[in-house]
Amino acid sequence: MSSHLAPTADLERGITTLGGRRLVFHCHHYNVFLQRTIEDALQERAPRLLVAAGMEASRSMLQKLEAEAESASAADALRRAADMFAAQGFGRVDVGELGESGGRATLDHSHYAVGWVSRWGKRPSPGCFFVAGFLAGALAAAHRLSPERITSREVECVAAGDERCSFRVEVW
Amino acid sequence: MAIDERVIVETVVGMGLAGNEEGLIPAFGLYLTNHYADFYNRISFGVLGALVRENPELTEDAIALLTEAAHVCAFHTFGGIMASVEWDALVQPMIESREDWVFGMMAVVNAFGWGRFRVAELSPGERLVVELRDSYESSGYLESYPRADGPRCFLANGGMAGLMNLVYQGDITRRPALTEELYREVFSHPRSFRSRERLCAAQGDSHCEFVVERMPQ
Repeated sequence: MSSHLAPTADLERGITTLGGRRLVFHCHHYNVFLQRTIEDALQERAPRLLVAAGMEASRSMLQKLEAEAESASAADALRRAADMFAAQGFGRVDVGELGESGGRATLDHSHYAVGWVSRWGKRPSPGCFFVAGFLAGALAAAHRLSPERITSREVECVAAGDERCSFRVEVW
Repeated sequence: MAIDERVIVETVVGMGLAGNEEGLIPAFGLYLTNHYADFYNRISFGVLGALVRENPELTEDAIALLTEAAHVCAFHTFGGIMASVEWDALVQPMIESREDWVFGMMAVVNAFGWGRFRVAELSPGERLVVELRDSYESSGYLESYPRADGPRCFLANGGMAGLMNLVYQGDITRRPALTEELYREVFSHPRSFRSRERLCAAQGDSHCEFVVERMPQ
């Protein structure tokens, strides 16, 4: 992981930051339980909240990091974002088919899918909402796109019985 | 008290917990993420706001849902850590009493980025008072909303109850299996611990403070 992607820990205050935003360690039990709580409470509106939150949280961090890193290209910025994503424990996402007009990204070992399956087994529909949001935020930061122009959704999910997690990102 | 918090914090931070070749962080018998505080705050305060706007009378129920998630977090995260080989190597040698399990876990949490926890009072088996500064929940709340009309650190609040339940109700010192049955047994016990956030930075206090006590008989 390149140095500018390494979080900074302030041991006296008990806080860790990256790109000016706070990072906090949590485990898969909390992550998937909190998601399930929100899905149960909000029903069909839950994905919109979860994806939008993932997009905004990642975009605000990545924009600041990108301003400091000055990647040679948008593709470099996306790869850097994917490296950060893997270092943070979410899985190693392939963003090679993702470009300014959107595209596809795949993930073999998604934290959310692995966590969901280990706790409850399979679910009827894809469940990696944070990842979908992250990809939208990463694309917005890399290509300097307005986030409102981006939609991102998971079309295959390990937690739903698919071989890998796959995401479709569209830019209009 | 034998717990050396500084050594624990520096060691856990120094472990450099980061994704492996699969991009996962298996540690303490768990899969960890170094996640975005903004994400948790947006979804937690978002669901609370949506539920309360539609049914204001359900405010307490909505908070109870988020608190339940925090109890699950504490049970598995703190429980997993206290049963891990990492705990055995780092914290266990410092432990001289049951209360040191509380102090030891608090030190580990201080390496997780949640803010700085400090035990202000611990009455063995009865009561815990904890101060928290730089809570990611209260500071995140104030970035997006006006001053709150009540406490907002749902994760930290439930987490403190979970810690006391693990140490004094579930007897984590005997390393029980962290099953759903044990979770229900511990947290549904009529004398289990519950936490109340007495002070919260989100409502204008200088810091957050949690009082953990057994449910009344």
